[in-house]
Amino acid sequence: MNRKWIKLFTISLLVVLLISGCTSNNSKNGSSTNTKEPATDSKGNVAPEGKPATWIADRKIKGLVFMGSDDYTEDMNPEIKAKVKELTGIDFEIQIMKADHSIDGLVAGLAAGDLPDFIAFYLNNSGRPEMPVILKAAREGMFTDLTPLMKDTKVYSKYLEKGFLPIDTQYGVMFRPEFNGSTYFAHMNINREAGYSTNIVGGPFIRKDIAEALNIDPRTITTTDQLYDLAKKIKAGNFKDSNGKDVMPIGPAYWGGAEVGRLFQDLEWGADDQRINQDKDGKITHEAETPYAMKKVEFVKKLLSEKLMQPEFFTIDESRATEGAINGSWGIIANMHSMQDFNQDVHYLPIGPIKDVNGSTQMKVDFKSGYSGWAIPSTTKNPEDIMKFADFLASKQGKLLWKYGIEGRDYTLDADGKPLVKQEVLDLKAKDPNEAKKLGFDGVGNSWGNILGSTDNDNIVDFGEENWADKLNQGKSKGADIVAEYVNWKEQRKNAEVRDAYTPTSFLGEFDRGTELKAALDNYNDSLIKAYYSKSTEEAQKTLDSALKQMKSAGLDDYLKLITEKNKDPKTVLKF
Amino acid sequence: MKQSTMPLKLNNRGSVLWKSILRHRYLYFMLLPCILFFIIFSYIPMGGLLLAFKEYKFNKGITGSPWVGLDYFKTFFNSYQSAQLIKNTLIISCMKMFLYLPFPIILALMFNEIRNKWFRNISQSILYLPHFLSWVIVVGLIQRILAPDDGLLNQVISNMGGDGSTFFMMDSKYFYTIMFGSHVWKSIGWDSIIYLAAISGINPDMYEAAKIDGAGKLREIWSITIPSIMPTIVILFILSLGNILSAGFDQIYLLRTPGNMNLADILDTYIIRTGLQSGQYGYATAVGMLQGLIGLILVVIANRISRRVSETSLW
Repeated sequence: MNRKWIKLFTISLLVVLLISGCTSNNSKNGSSTNTKEPATDSKGNVAPEGKPATWIADRKIKGLVFMGSDDYTEDMNPEIKAKVKELTGIDFEIQIMKADHSIDGLVAGLAAGDLPDFIAFYLNNSGRPEMPVILKAAREGMFTDLTPLMKDTKVYSKYLEKGFLPIDTQYGVMFRPEFNGSTYFAHMNINREAGYSTNIVGGPFIRKDIAEALNIDPRTITTTDQLYDLAKKIKAGNFKDSNGKDVMPIGPAYWGGAEVGRLFQDLEWGADDQRINQDKDGKITHEAETPYAMKKVEFVKKLLSEKLMQPEFFTIDESRATEGAINGSWGIIANMHSMQDFNQDVHYLPIGPIKDVNGSTQMKVDFKSGYSGWAIPSTTKNPEDIMKFADFLASKQGKLLWKYGIEGRDYTLDADGKPLVKQEVLDLKAKDPNEAKKLGFDGVGNSWGNILGSTDNDNIVDFGEENWADKLNQGKSKGADIVAEYVNWKEQRKNAEVRDAYTPTSFLGEFDRGTELKAALDNYNDSLIKAYYSKSTEEAQKTLDSALKQMKSAGLDDYLKLITEKNKDPKTVLKF
Repeated sequence: MKQSTMPLKLNNRGSVLWKSILRHRYLYFMLLPCILFFIIFSYIPMGGLLLAFKEYKFNKGITGSPWVGLDYFKTFFNSYQSAQLIKNTLIISCMKMFLYLPFPIILALMFNEIRNKWFRNISQSILYLPHFLSWVIVVGLIQRILAPDDGLLNQVISNMGGDGSTFFMMDSKYFYTIMFGSHVWKSIGWDSIIYLAAISGINPDMYEAAKIDGAGKLREIWSITIPSIMPTIVILFILSLGNILSAGFDQIYLLRTPGNMNLADILDTYIIRTGLQSGQYGYATAVGMLQGLIGLILVVIANRISRRVSETSLW
């Protein structure tokens, strides 16, 4: 009898465990639909008695973020969370949906339909792969119209002002003509001032000691022919890395294998993620239709065959590429930038820049550009609370909280009301970045606030410094400034071309064979790399011809006609 | 009279079944999670196949979305990629199915002949181990071993006086070797377990009788072991036919480089690209459904042939 009871108990326990394992804990987390209606004024015009002017509503706001977890973190510091609650009444919580590619998560999340109060996603421009997905969701009524909600806000109402948004954000992302003045997503990271850019210098860099030993000024290297000669000299110089091994003349980008357009700028037809350009007669063509494709193949083949370029240049993993850069194994790093920690002593110097196909080295700056976006699902109750909360985070007070933390604990205010980061916080970040991250604000690497709050940005005006702790850091991380001075960045910026335009592939979403053409364009990118490694020029030509044929059968000619027409309209002008 | 006995018989049969269930209630209770598992994770999701014939709308769900008939199937077969994708998938899956089949059987036979228990356990453990490594790790290892110039294999080649700069991963002529070799290395140990279990179930009297008749080791294997495990081999082979159009997503996805893409683009990677990365749920479902349908038809045919030829079958 006892054994029977034990059996029965064990089986019941198993069933209970199975059922409880399959039950979600939503009720505990309490999404917006389960939360209590705010007891205070949810319309939010007047703050309730005893509450600050920033008060919104006593409720929870939960967001689902379809962006890589390196950029954002779910954990919020309890003190910061309490401060947010105290100021706004909002109990803020984000959940990051992890997926190999952020778009996989977005597609699955939208299809599942069970969305919290808001969602956030990558969105550099209207040509980003996420765009057709969120556009489909908006067209099918998944999101709330943000236009009426923006009208009563302090920061986001600027989006409704003429000339504030770049044209791609205005007409391609947010206020698309088909929406008749409505908008279903907020495009983020729009700078307050036009043409705003930091003095960051990117592109190929050469080891300073090598340049000095060869008596070469890297700024004079402006063509791929000069780059080839330089690589040969590096090889002949028998330079060694920090492990005593031979230096590879041209190494991959700091972040791993990729095609690096800035290294072969005079052989690149358009940007390396577009490969579409306009010739002097105004004709728009794809790289595969020009002689540049084969010229580049021949150049890369030459570098590879003479062992002047790392053989896995296009496919190497990030860890090995970075290790090589740090060890000085690459004479030239194909692509990096001046803000990187390992180069604050400026032992790598920028090359060129290499001229483009038109023979120009003029800097090109976007009028303004967006990055990431968010939307409110139509199932969210009181969506105005989310907009008000986003507006609070985008205000100076909100930004101070999510960028600098808590006054007294993490920073003090100077006479001008600008934040001064505390030395102990900076020291903690240098000594133990993970521990510092727990303080819970952007400066120490916890970026919860920029999902809804990073827009209308002007850090110099708002906080007296471009980046967190710049004032305190003076003299310690001035490598970037030295590099900027070295390339005469100010002069370059003064003469820069400011562009407010679309990328050539931005219109793939509205092209009827867009998906097929996108696949064919991706295939061309792969075919190009394949051609670099082909045994002969004929084989390479055959590979590129086949890729061009596939693009043509996927509608390349019609697409080029479409963007030629778009380019004639001032609202949809292209940048090459 | 006859009419009146029928319900009685049925009632009797029903009550016998009910009594049998009641008697073995704990076994049925233990079976319940398994049945639930298949209902939840295998049968209910089959409803999603409707998407292959519908244009999925976020706001209308699977049932409410409009029908598009066979449009997705037509689009797929009209696509310039379809023939290449099907060809690549068939080649890779056939290699994994037919060419790979003898490897775990031979390993099981070898394990069976090892008399030293300690050595047998150690070698079995070593060979099972790769099964537990993810493809990400295995392909990472392969990339390092086969790297040009500083990879292990190229260094060996270079030390022996050869050209140590071959970029094996970028050259399509090495793709099948790398793909098949890594598949064998990772799967052979684990897949031999079931054959080893079948071998251990063979009656030892048969081996003794064979020895008395003067049979050697090879003759024993050929005339006793292999025929005895043949039903297991056939069943496993029929089951594997269901996956003939699934060439193994993770391995191929990770091994793919621009250099070998003409051989490594398969239906599984295509489904991920179009379905998940471009949000074309219906189209991806249709291509996935094709895989499943072809697999089902092959299993039914192979089962019928097997039943006629060898009297071994799934049903």
